[in-house]
Amino acid sequence: MQLTWEKLGLVFDPEQISERPDWMVNFAQAPNVVIFDTFIRVFFCCRPKPDENKQFVSYCAFVDLDKKDLFKVLNISQKPLLSLGELGTFDEFGTYPVSVTEDGEDLIAIYGGWQRCESVPFNISLGLARSHDQGVSFTKYGPGPVLSHSPNEPFIVTSPKLRKYNDTWYLAYTAGRKWILDEEGRPEIIYKMRMASSTDLVNWTRLDRDIIESKLGEHEAQACPDIFYAAGKYHMFFCYRQGLDFRSNKHNSYRIGYASSDDLQQWHRDDSKVDLDVSETGWDAEMVAYPTLFELDGTVYMLYAGNGNGKTGFGLAKLHGTLS
Amino acid sequence: MKWQKLGKIFDPSTVTLADGCTEFAKSPQALVFDDFVRIYFCAQKKTANSKYLSCPMYVDFDKSMTHMLALSEHSVIQPGELGHFDEHGIFPFSVTRDDDSIIAYTSGWSRRTSVSVDMSIGFAKSTDQGVSFKRFGAGGPVMAANQHEPMMVADAFVLKINGSYHMWYIFGSHWQKKSADGAAERFYKIAYAHSMDGIHWQRTGKTIIDEKIPDECQALPTVIYAAGKYHMYFCYRSAYDFRQNSKNAYRLGYAWSDDLISWTRDDGEAGIELSDSGWDSEMMCYPNLFETDGQIYLLYNGNEFGRYGFGLARLTEL
Repeated sequence: MQLTWEKLGLVFDPEQISERPDWMVNFAQAPNVVIFDTFIRVFFCCRPKPDENKQFVSYCAFVDLDKKDLFKVLNISQKPLLSLGELGTFDEFGTYPVSVTEDGEDLIAIYGGWQRCESVPFNISLGLARSHDQGVSFTKYGPGPVLSHSPNEPFIVTSPKLRKYNDTWYLAYTAGRKWILDEEGRPEIIYKMRMASSTDLVNWTRLDRDIIESKLGEHEAQACPDIFYAAGKYHMFFCYRQGLDFRSNKHNSYRIGYASSDDLQQWHRDDSKVDLDVSETGWDAEMVAYPTLFELDGTVYMLYAGNGNGKTGFGLAKLHGTLS
Repeated sequence: MKWQKLGKIFDPSTVTLADGCTEFAKSPQALVFDDFVRIYFCAQKKTANSKYLSCPMYVDFDKSMTHMLALSEHSVIQPGELGHFDEHGIFPFSVTRDDDSIIAYTSGWSRRTSVSVDMSIGFAKSTDQGVSFKRFGAGGPVMAANQHEPMMVADAFVLKINGSYHMWYIFGSHWQKKSADGAAERFYKIAYAHSMDGIHWQRTGKTIIDEKIPDECQALPTVIYAAGKYHMYFCYRSAYDFRQNSKNAYRLGYAWSDDLISWTRDDGEAGIELSDSGWDSEMMCYPNLFETDGQIYLLYNGNEFGRYGFGLARLTEL
């Protein structure tokens, strides 16, 4: 299987929209697509201005792109899709990332809720919400998370990707392994991709092991396990980075990896199957991250985020070749 | 129920506590051996930023409960690693027998920025008769917040009965301020969970003990079987002004059950109240029931959440 990704360029950056709400000042992180009749709705996460302590919160939003011209913005969400949680709850300080999937007429969101901590900057658990209005607003299932921490996933459960195959819900996500300290003593998170399954979206059975071997060793961080079913096989595109100095050093920042599976349990990593790397210059010259695949009229596309973990927005690539 | 108070039996200020702890002996919990009773408790030390860190340790008593035999040389479990749910201490620490094994359910503390803390329940096992405990798996919690129980999941008390595990514990519903400029206080209640393996728990999201006072918080359930019924003691207080104001401070409550599931609260039957003066005259909290040599005892803390140690009462009428 020879795959070539043709980069088509930057699709959406909130900063290029002059009339945008104040909770959507910048960032378009971790895109996910739901396809409608005439447009695709891209769910992503954005930020308002930071507070006086330079701390951010994150909101879920969407942008509608014209199916006939994916670079044409038709609409953006006017309100955050989810409110932040009450004092002391898991999603008090942010709702990021979000994965949105169809469930009959409804849309289901699994999202990361952010809590701020004293010794490390944050902790994350996954919440569940449902929309009856095609994703304009979501109602939380409860005030707490549906997937939190467990004996072998002791903190940071995030980067969800929700799928439904054969009447079973599958959640691919990433779970914290270790906080390591950089040269200035600042804790950085190492996480590895995991999976769980459920019949009701609330009670999850964890696979309880890492699903993808680490290429960069023990301190490789893996995120965004986006699963795409094609030609009788499950294809996963994800991103991975070094444990430290990954923000500004383009040699350590996120790249896109690939793995495949016949049964959603055993995954075979083969990053050589994805040739989408950083550009020489521009919005995706420092990193490529948070891939998501979708198919439109027989063509497979990937949306992905660029520099600053999506600070510069997300762009589009088109697949030449067939996933097999 | 009628209890005879035997007074304070352990005062942390009279001994050298393990691991640099200097104060408190909170939440005494007994583990009965053939010829002695091991009482686990949580002592505290101050960390560099002047916050408290709780460390579980134990003291051994002879069966008459009057002579101290030994004091643990170390905490029985160390605080969790960076970013873990129990990084900022363990309190309470609840030990139980699982056939031939000794297991513990820990309440781990993790400090937050908007509120002071969050808590989850961990699991640990001892292979040296309860001198030290090792965490299960990679050290994460066996029970954390979920959709109906959004915070402060703690105070586990577990009994293995007829091959399965029964847990009584608390969860927090919310933090609330009484007035705009007041501090946010946590609200929590007692709940129940069931497990076949002691690790994976089925929860109901429901509270099981009726409220008695306004803004009631309930904590630290302890259960014992006697005379054909299950008996639960717990402590309860007002969510507000409970540290300095004795009227709002912890008291002991009582409930009974025939089936481990539905409980009837009847504090009038608790049979134990504040003393007129002394170490347990303003507050009574963190009860623990145990039986040894046919005698049922109640361990508990008094004023200031156990700063001055713990005491004992003997059941005289059931």
